[in-house]
Amino acid sequence: EASVSEPPAPPGPVGILADSRCISSGVELMACLRQRHSATVHVCSLDGSYFIVSNRMAVERHSQSDLSSTQNRKRLTERVNSLQGLFERVCLIVEKDRTKQGEASRPFQRTRYYDNTLTALVRTGVRLLWSSGPEESAGLLSDLARLEQRKGQGIAVPLEVKGQRRQQALELYSSLPSVNHAHALNMSHNFSSIAQLINSSVEAIQKGGCMSQSRAEEVYRFLRYSCDSLLLNTLKTGKS
Amino acid sequence: METKAAVVVDAVPPFGHVISSEKWRNSSLTQSLRGAGVKLLFENELGVTDFHLPNKSCILYVSECDIIAGTSYKRRLVRFRNSSSSFQELVLVENTRLSEQYFPAVQKFVVFDLGLTLLPVSGQTEASQLIAQMVHGEGRENPFRRKTSSRLLDPLVLALVQQVPGVGRVKALALLQRFSSIQQLCNAAPSEMEPIVGQTAAQQIHNFFHKPSSGS
Repeated sequence: EASVSEPPAPPGPVGILADSRCISSGVELMACLRQRHSATVHVCSLDGSYFIVSNRMAVERHSQSDLSSTQNRKRLTERVNSLQGLFERVCLIVEKDRTKQGEASRPFQRTRYYDNTLTALVRTGVRLLWSSGPEESAGLLSDLARLEQRKGQGIAVPLEVKGQRRQQALELYSSLPSVNHAHALNMSHNFSSIAQLINSSVEAIQKGGCMSQSRAEEVYRFLRYSCDSLLLNTLKTGKS
Repeated sequence: METKAAVVVDAVPPFGHVISSEKWRNSSLTQSLRGAGVKLLFENELGVTDFHLPNKSCILYVSECDIIAGTSYKRRLVRFRNSSSSFQELVLVENTRLSEQYFPAVQKFVVFDLGLTLLPVSGQTEASQLIAQMVHGEGRENPFRRKTSSRLLDPLVLALVQQVPGVGRVKALALLQRFSSIQQLCNAAPSEMEPIVGQTAAQQIHNFFHKPSSGS
């Protein structure tokens, strides 16, 4: 996969999408991303607290203690499973726990559960990166985004849409199954109307959404899926 | 580089066993592996690889000394990556007080340049615990393995139709009773929707789908 010919002109700044929940836990990291790594970061509302560094890659930050506590297991598996549904590549940045001012840093107590979690993550193809703190995490995020950009997977459209109509279209695209926010952004920039997407071939969806073929096929089928009227009736009585 | 014909790059150990490179025979790592109930098979011809596990992964161990001593471990890593076995390749890296200043550079090389998986350990004891978990955990259900859920699509279609401005649950259900898919609904003429949702809403829905949503 390694490309021999380096692109001659330096590519523009990398684009990164961040869920709004990433701000509260990552003021330092965000500042670092923007200032030191001159990344274009757009904060939006995603379905979890994670970053999108390319059309196919999501990155979530976890503290070491997060991964070693059994109480978090359910939440972690749900998060990872849901990201795996939306992205070809899922990456976890495992960050050292912060020590409070004046407190001696305690060595991390590695448990069997922690080792199990790591093994299971690696076996399912989740990528792990290791960080000593927010600054290093910002560097890793920027490196990942740049690497993805070099591989032609970077988010190439503007990170936000303007205007109510386009905003509504973006929200509709985001609610398509298996479509992540980057795909939805691509769609809102590349299709002139919602009807154009709906009537597109698999190839056109794949191209316009910058997504894999299997994902585009799924979208194509979903748009043509015929609802069952009996089932709709039960939905009608179910809620009203 | 010369190819060594005898290298057993594809040897998978039986369950509960680890194939270890001969050079680890008297190490504290293999001793603690034994202590954890892992059976060891020593092998002279593993090439650069240090360990083979029954779950078809192989491990290269980079010690604190390797890192501090400099570049020769990088050559080993490249050979490890190029050994093109069918195994999942894992790199255990000793991240200690002495080697931690080099860790970011090592990580960059292992993960970004070579695309390998890196797992830090504090030393041979932690490494043996991790390897023992990998050996004993083999066959256990992996919670992160995605179950291909056969989701019912109807509620998702319904939810999407409700994203059309002015269309709530009742109208969405009525529209889908008549035009059963999103595509059919999108391509319906306003006059066809009129009897269901009224003239104003019918025109609004049609505009939503067909008016340009990109460009100026």
